[in-house]
This record gives sequence, C-alpha cells and structure tokens, in this order.
Amino acid sequence: MSEYSLKNTLSYRFLRQSAKDWKDFLVTFGNIGKDFNRVIKYILRLEIDANKLIEQSSRFAFDSLPITLTIVSMTAIIISMQISPELVKQGGGNFIGMMSAIVMTRELSAIMSGFAIISMIGSSFASELASMSVTDQISAMKVLRVDPVKYLIVPRVTAGFIMMPFVVILSSFVGLFFAGLVANITAGVSALNFTTSMWQGLFIKDIMVMLLKSAFFGGAIALISCSCGYSTRGGAKDVGISTTKAVVWSFLAIAFLDWIFAILFYM
Amino acid sequence: MSIIVQNLVKEFEGKKVLDDISFTVNSGETLGVVGFSGSGKSTILKLICGLLYADSGKIQTTKGDIAMTFQYSALFDFLNVFENISFPLVERPEFKGKYSKKDLERIVAENLKILGLKDIEDKYPSELSGGMQKRVSFARAIVTKPSIILYDEPTAGLDPVSSTIIEDYIVSLKNELNATCMVVTHQLSTIKRATDKIIMLYKGKIVFKGTTEEFLKAENPYAKQFIDAAIEGPMDILQED
Repeated sequence: MSEYSLKNTLSYRFLRQSAKDWKDFLVTFGNIGKDFNRVIKYILRLEIDANKLIEQSSRFAFDSLPITLTIVSMTAIIISMQISPELVKQGGGNFIGMMSAIVMTRELSAIMSGFAIISMIGSSFASELASMSVTDQISAMKVLRVDPVKYLIVPRVTAGFIMMPFVVILSSFVGLFFAGLVANITAGVSALNFTTSMWQGLFIKDIMVMLLKSAFFGGAIALISCSCGYSTRGGAKDVGISTTKAVVWSFLAIAFLDWIFAILFYM
Repeated sequence: MSIIVQNLVKEFEGKKVLDDISFTVNSGETLGVVGFSGSGKSTILKLICGLLYADSGKIQTTKGDIAMTFQYSALFDFLNVFENISFPLVERPEFKGKYSKKDLERIVAENLKILGLKDIEDKYPSELSGGMQKRVSFARAIVTKPSIILYDEPTAGLDPVSSTIIEDYIVSLKNELNATCMVVTHQLSTIKRATDKIIMLYKGKIVFKGTTEEFLKAENPYAKQFIDAAIEGPMDILQED
C-alpha cells in the first residue's frame, strides 16, 4: 500500500497548478506592460523606421485581407440569411439595411476582423519572434547593439494601430454589400430599399467609435503577439506555447477592449 | 588587461550556475572555456557581452566593441547574407546613414573575403551549409572591428574539416583584428589549435586554470578526465544536475 503524501493529493496538485497559472499570468501581463512602455516611448519620440513600417503595414493589411473579408462577409451573409426572411414576414423589411449597418459598424466588423487578424497576423508575429528568440537571433541583435524592441516590435505595433481601421472599414463595406445581396436573394428586399434603410443606420458616432476601437484592437493584437513571442525561452515546444498564448491573450484583450468601448460610448 | 572577471556569481531559479568565478584574459590572448554541458560556460560569455546580469561580482573589459558568435550561428533568417553582415552598420544608431550602399558592398565583400567566401551576398541563411553559416556569422561579428570576440561553441555540429577551417579563422581573425578572444568549446582540436589559456568549469566552479599546454599535459585530474573522455573521474557526469 502506498504511503499517504500531501503532494499526491488532488487538491494539492490543483493548488500547485493554479499557483503556477497565476504566476504565468502575472509574468505575461508584466512582460506585455514592460514592452508597451518601451514601444510607446519610441512611438512618442517618433523613432519609427519608415521602411519597416511600410513593410509591416502591407503585411498587416493586405496579407490578412482575403481571410478578413471572407470571415466578415460569411458572418454578414449568415446573419442576413437568418434575419431577412423573418423581418420581412413580420413587416420589418424596411429595417434590414439599418439593422445590418448598426450591427456591422458597432460590433461585427471590428470584432470579426480582429479575430481574423489574430489568427492570421498575430499568430505569425508571435511565432516569428519566438523562433528568433529560441534560435538566439534576438540575443545576436542585442549583442550587435540594435534594440530588438525598436527594430521588431515598434513597426509591427504601429502598423497594427494604423492599418486595422482600414481593414475594418473595407470589411464593413464588403459585409454590408453581402448582407444586402443575401437580403435580396432570400427575402426579396430591393437594393434601393436596403441602401435607403442602411443610411438610416449609419451614424457618424458609430463610425468614429468603430475606427478608434479597431485602431486599439490592431495595436493590442500586435503588441500582445510580439510580446509573447519576444519573451519566449526554450525550444520548439515553447514556440508553440507562446503562439497559443498570444492568440488567447489577444482574444481576451479584444473582448476586454470592446467592453471598455461599449461602456465609454454606449452606456 | 582586456577582460577581468572577479568573483562572478550567477544563479538561475535558486541554482548557482556560476560560483565565485575569477579570471583574466590579456589583450590579444584567446581563452578557452571548457567543461561538460551545463557547467556554465555559455553563461560566462552572456555575462561578458551584457546579455545577462551577474548576481554579484565584477566584469571589466577594455573599451571597444564586444562581438559574440552563437552556437547555431543566429543569422537573421529573414535577411540575406549581405543584409546580415551589414546589419550593425545599417541599424546601429551611431552608424545610421554613415555608410553608403557602395561602402557597405565593399565592406561586406572584404569581410566575406577574410572568411574565404564570395558571391553569396544574395543567399539566405537557409541556403548555406552549417560551416558557411558559421563563417557568415563571424563576418557579421567582425564588421564593426571589435576588440573582444566571444565564440560560443564555434565548431559544434560541424564535420572535422569544417571545424579545422573554423579554428583557423578564429586564429586569423584574432591576428587580423588584434582582438582578445574567448572560445567556449567541447572540442579538443579547437583547444589545441585556437587557444592560449584554458579555464575548466565544473558545477559552476573553476577546476582548472592554466595554459593550453598545461591543460593538455592532463596532470590536473579534471583536465585528464575531460581529455580522456572518461566516465570515471572527479566529475560525476552521470549524475549531472
């Protein structure tokens, strides 16, 4: 019969794992905060390499565009498919455009674009920097007296902040186009009806909030992804862990920021 | 004196990796740092070049650049050979804008020539052999004419002929730049061909300090076990923690 040991108990293991998770959470939070502090100093001093900014902006916006537009369009199509026939049945056919516009500008476009960008760009930022870290490329950069934060993270975060609103605007247009098309096909809502109704649902405030929010989303995704990658130590397994961590933290950050914006502007 | 290390202590998560390490490397000398895996050899290099901070102790180096080459070359895989070698001259704040494209092309070609390479400027690291990657990383390290060069296992993973070539370059670069060097290695051939003095580490402490000749005489029991590659001896290899 094995001897009783506190270390073998389920509760002990649960507490130990919880303590480890909390420590990991605090370390990650601290790393992101530290990197944010350094990035913001460079940005405020306008020490941003224009060429790298252009390169990363192109990557952030254009490389992610097909998947972003597909996800936003598909979401718009599915929602429109479900609500358009119902609203027409209830006599609300004239409100389909307005509803689509409100849903798109206030939530859907920024959130779904954010998710697409996290999976497409955020994960690649994280795995790229994590690979560089575990293969000593970041150490080499430090030894060559080039600050990796300035060289690698600042252009990516700035690109995220600047380019995300463009992605979101474009995806909103495309999403609304498909919502109108599907409303026409599934419920017979005319293009004129949809467009007229849509203009009634587009408010300057919503558009401004959407742009501001998406800029913060873009900056946060890039910062968190880069920070998780940059702080990676170990080997291939740790690259995977960091990439997953970057994706999870970015999702949480977007949800949290979205909530903050909702409180600030819609309560 | 070029590198003076006094009473260096470094801990990782409560475990002493370096414990009261002191040594001196004179200008123009090459010090070999040997020991079994996990004995703290690479940590010393990282402390000297500022990648890590010591818990206590002192490191003094002469003025000038410190260059370091890494075990697996650490070339930037998103840049080609030309961009890798010219990287510090292009990106370092004090050099920014100082060199024209023509200057950079000339400097890179010169550095590649020193290392017996040519016409590979457009290649990416993944297109080069291990030995060539090492030589390109040497070219990148010396492009700022450093006064101290640190090599972390320069011949690890290379075939004997490539190792010999690398060892020859360690010697020729030292003479060319009149640099002070430290070489972390497991290889006896590197010790024989490229070093003047040796320190040997075991469990974070120096167990041998002397000239390469003295080390190779194997009168010290630790040095003897290392040279003979013996399992039995003062170092408990199987119980390494």
